[in-house]
Amino acid sequence: MNHDLSKLPDIFARYPREPQSLIAVLQDIQKEFNFLPCEALKEAAQHLDVPLSKVFSVSTFYNAFSLNPKGEKVIRICMGTTCHIRGAALIQDQLESKLGINAGQTTSDMKYTLEVVNCVGACSMAPVVIVNDKYYADVKVNQTKKILRGG
Amino acid sequence: MAITRIASPKALDKLRTECQKEQQKHPRKLMVCCGPGCLANGAAEIVSEFKAQLKKKRIKGFDVEAMKETGCHGFCEQGPLVVVEPQGTFYTRVKKKDVERIVEETLRNNKIVDNLLYTHPIEKKTYRDYREIPFYKHQKRIALRNLGHINQCDVRDYIATGGYQALAKALTTLSPTEVIEQVKTSGLRGRGGGGFSTGRKWESCARLAERPHYVICNGDEGDPGAFMDRAIMEGDPHSVLEGMAICAYAVDSSEGYIYVREEYPLAVQFLQEAIREAEAYGLLGDNILGTDFSFHIKISRGGGAFVCGESSALMRSVAGEVGEPRAKYIRSVQKGLFDKPTVLNNVESFANIPVIIERGGKWYARIGTEKSTGTKAFSLVGKVVNSGLIEVPMGTTLRQIVFDIGGGIRDNRPFKAVQTGGPSGGCLPESKLDLSVDFDTLTKAGSMMGSGGMIVMDEGTCVVDVAKYFLKFLVEESCGKCTPCREGLYQLYLLAVKISEGLATESDLGKMEQLSAVIIDASLCGLGKSGPNPFLSTIQYFRDEYLAHIRDKRCPAGVCKALITYEVDAQACDGCMACIRACAVNAITGKKGEVHVIDQAKCNKCGACFAVCNRHAIKVA
Amino acid sequence: MVHLTINGTRVQATEGEMLLTVIRRMGIDIPALCHHEAVEPFGACRLCLVEITKDSWNGWKGYVTSCLYPVENDLIVNTHADKVIEARKTLIDLQLARCPNSPEIQQLAAQFGINRTSYEPKVDGDNCILCGLCTRICDQMGFAAISTVERGHGRRIAPPLDQPPPDCVGCLACALNCPTHVIPFTQAGDRRTIWEKDFELITCSRCGRKTITREFATALSKMRGIPESYFELCDACHREDTAQGMGRIAAWSRREEKAS
Repeated sequence: MNHDLSKLPDIFARYPREPQSLIAVLQDIQKEFNFLPCEALKEAAQHLDVPLSKVFSVSTFYNAFSLNPKGEKVIRICMGTTCHIRGAALIQDQLESKLGINAGQTTSDMKYTLEVVNCVGACSMAPVVIVNDKYYADVKVNQTKKILRGG
Repeated sequence: MAITRIASPKALDKLRTECQKEQQKHPRKLMVCCGPGCLANGAAEIVSEFKAQLKKKRIKGFDVEAMKETGCHGFCEQGPLVVVEPQGTFYTRVKKKDVERIVEETLRNNKIVDNLLYTHPIEKKTYRDYREIPFYKHQKRIALRNLGHINQCDVRDYIATGGYQALAKALTTLSPTEVIEQVKTSGLRGRGGGGFSTGRKWESCARLAERPHYVICNGDEGDPGAFMDRAIMEGDPHSVLEGMAICAYAVDSSEGYIYVREEYPLAVQFLQEAIREAEAYGLLGDNILGTDFSFHIKISRGGGAFVCGESSALMRSVAGEVGEPRAKYIRSVQKGLFDKPTVLNNVESFANIPVIIERGGKWYARIGTEKSTGTKAFSLVGKVVNSGLIEVPMGTTLRQIVFDIGGGIRDNRPFKAVQTGGPSGGCLPESKLDLSVDFDTLTKAGSMMGSGGMIVMDEGTCVVDVAKYFLKFLVEESCGKCTPCREGLYQLYLLAVKISEGLATESDLGKMEQLSAVIIDASLCGLGKSGPNPFLSTIQYFRDEYLAHIRDKRCPAGVCKALITYEVDAQACDGCMACIRACAVNAITGKKGEVHVIDQAKCNKCGACFAVCNRHAIKVA
Repeated sequence: MVHLTINGTRVQATEGEMLLTVIRRMGIDIPALCHHEAVEPFGACRLCLVEITKDSWNGWKGYVTSCLYPVENDLIVNTHADKVIEARKTLIDLQLARCPNSPEIQQLAAQFGINRTSYEPKVDGDNCILCGLCTRICDQMGFAAISTVERGHGRRIAPPLDQPPPDCVGCLACALNCPTHVIPFTQAGDRRTIWEKDFELITCSRCGRKTITREFATALSKMRGIPESYFELCDACHREDTAQGMGRIAAWSRREEKAS
């Protein structure tokens, strides 16, 4: 798969050209492409003078980065403590059954990616599910259809 | 409003007067809470609707500028919140369709919209002014002082309330040593949960000859269930900047970082905006307030890793590396960021600093207890009636927090436990409710106060499940470097799973206790060392519940899937078929009007039927 | 000079030394799987844990990894305290659960009386104990070709993007220093393969022995400022040349002496 790497110089220009900028650069690449393309990692390694092995370490260490392309709709289920005790695991079960994938995977038609994420800080509204940028608060276990529809 | 660089403290005073005069143009103000909870609940829509309505309707004495989009007002449970000041008229659960009524009746005609007021669910009393509500009455907000009262990112609002006055005072009337003395006298201890004396930390850094010195604000807030720091970073970012600048002056630093976790993009945005504003006004950057003190702050975004809340891992992340902690034999004050002397403090700690400098360390030390001075912010969440963001003096008891402020347990169910300190903390039972909340008392009891996440649990929460949850979290968040944490917590987690599935024996409990002791002694960093706490604190107070899982193969709380069954109560079932529709695995059969039956072989215990049944006909056994 | 007590014996040490160095100098044997003299201590395996205390600590004891703890005056160290032995046993038991089929770990565990792990053993795993020596040594060599990847229990050693590492020169430092010998490599004729990357071995122009890979030679030549032609001779032939040279100098020196 070819990705439009012409955006990379713009991204690189935002930060000082030093190893310290690695995480910030990778975050912007992740945001731009919705994942980290291999070629982008190689260019980042060269540009910042960081060994490719270290770039790979950092890309796989942090939750924010994905080496595989994500679906059109990224469904994030908050798995914070409050969400957990208010039933987030049951919501996960429902979404997994309905989509036919496990958390961490993407449907084969690339429409949905299901993820379980760390506490997003909206604990009073637990359980919380976020689809792309839209928040669903106080989610009940029978509302998963609504979430998938985008209502 | 033209931006002019503030060239001196006198100029700041002048600007403050100017800003206050601006505020007085609007004798009444409309506060729309845009804190994390309300935002998740639709506050943005309400803000747009207010803007549209105010533009359309032209209310005398009230234009769009009289509306403030504020940080977390606190009572998240009742959100979205809208408050009319100075009366304190408190509207709850506001929806988009309520906005027009508020504009017409309250803003134009000064009348109250009664059905939007708060009614106490047990007392049945309705309150107009939020300050009378028990949830608010028992609080003392210092770190959260501006949340809910100023525009989220507006330096002029911040200045109008007295912002940056403390920085001016420090730079022009106090020496760095005197600043440190004030902080020492205040008794402020690290609000991230570590509880180390802030003043002493600054002092040890200031004494080191090596340069440069760095100041870092830890905005990682990884504890699930805690959002105090998020609320401060989004709702009052200037308080953090001012606190950091005062610290930088005290320890002779010219470069600072705020490390914000990846999951808080709004906090990053507001902090960046606040930094830009502050620099434009000469309150940050070169020659602050016309003095020769310069301090620049950069934002460093986390990549998403709980372990990066640990100071040495955080510093590696700022340097663009993986967040692997380093053994603490050489303290990070001495060899911190890029191996240089570094002061690392939590968001809430910095937010307290301007107040301490302005009102004096002695004033601050009079609040709270002798060893834990001041106040602490908590996110009070879980099965409690009033969940939200609160701040109370240290020494307040758990009972006061959970019942007086929190209003007790939802649906009047019995209290079971309160979990504090995040994954490093523990669960305390009812018998411990009268303990004072401070740095040391809860630790002695087997938990810890931690960063401020306080999760209330009722009989429907299984402590084995909670221990399993925290262990799973830690196993996933462990950096993986050292054996006791990576392998030990993993094996501890497997044993917790075994218990939850009814497959464990009593000797497994002994094994877990022995393994926990080794993990505590041998782990490299705090994540590992405190990893076994969720298990150790629950086994200390809830051993019977563990034994029920082991001996009786029973989950008393009705949570552990392998040990429960969902059954239809034939007496209560009226055959409405709601559960059949909800079941994702077609495990329920029955025609309309007939008693339904759940096929246990197919049932995957997802609980959807239980959630949709309005007749209470599904029982958990 | 620093004075401290180890297992009841008072010893001297140089400021800045780590406890493990002193402990080994005394001939006391404690395992330290992730330790290697050529690289900075890492503190990952935790087996070199020791108990420390001081008279002024009122009976409080600490547990630290001796590889990373610098010597201190009046420190009292116990390498075989009960809690330390308990910890060491449990740690080895955990390693055995991770690598149940590793002969090296089995042997170490047997020394502590453990023949089978008391925890859940990993099924179908390799024998990597994640000591990190391979990556640290590779970094030290100046190549940084491989690294630790992912996090937590899924942590593993891998080349970048799980493909043959572009920066690897085939020097074998990683494989030869792995305590559990999990890094495979093959050598046949003048070809060497490691990390699924193929290398050409230089043949000594004089004796025909295989020496190092061409890539390693090029890298060394750049790093040390040595001409590439140097690597056309193997070490043995270089030594022979040096010996002959030394011999000629010695003979000349004897002639000079006789003459004077």
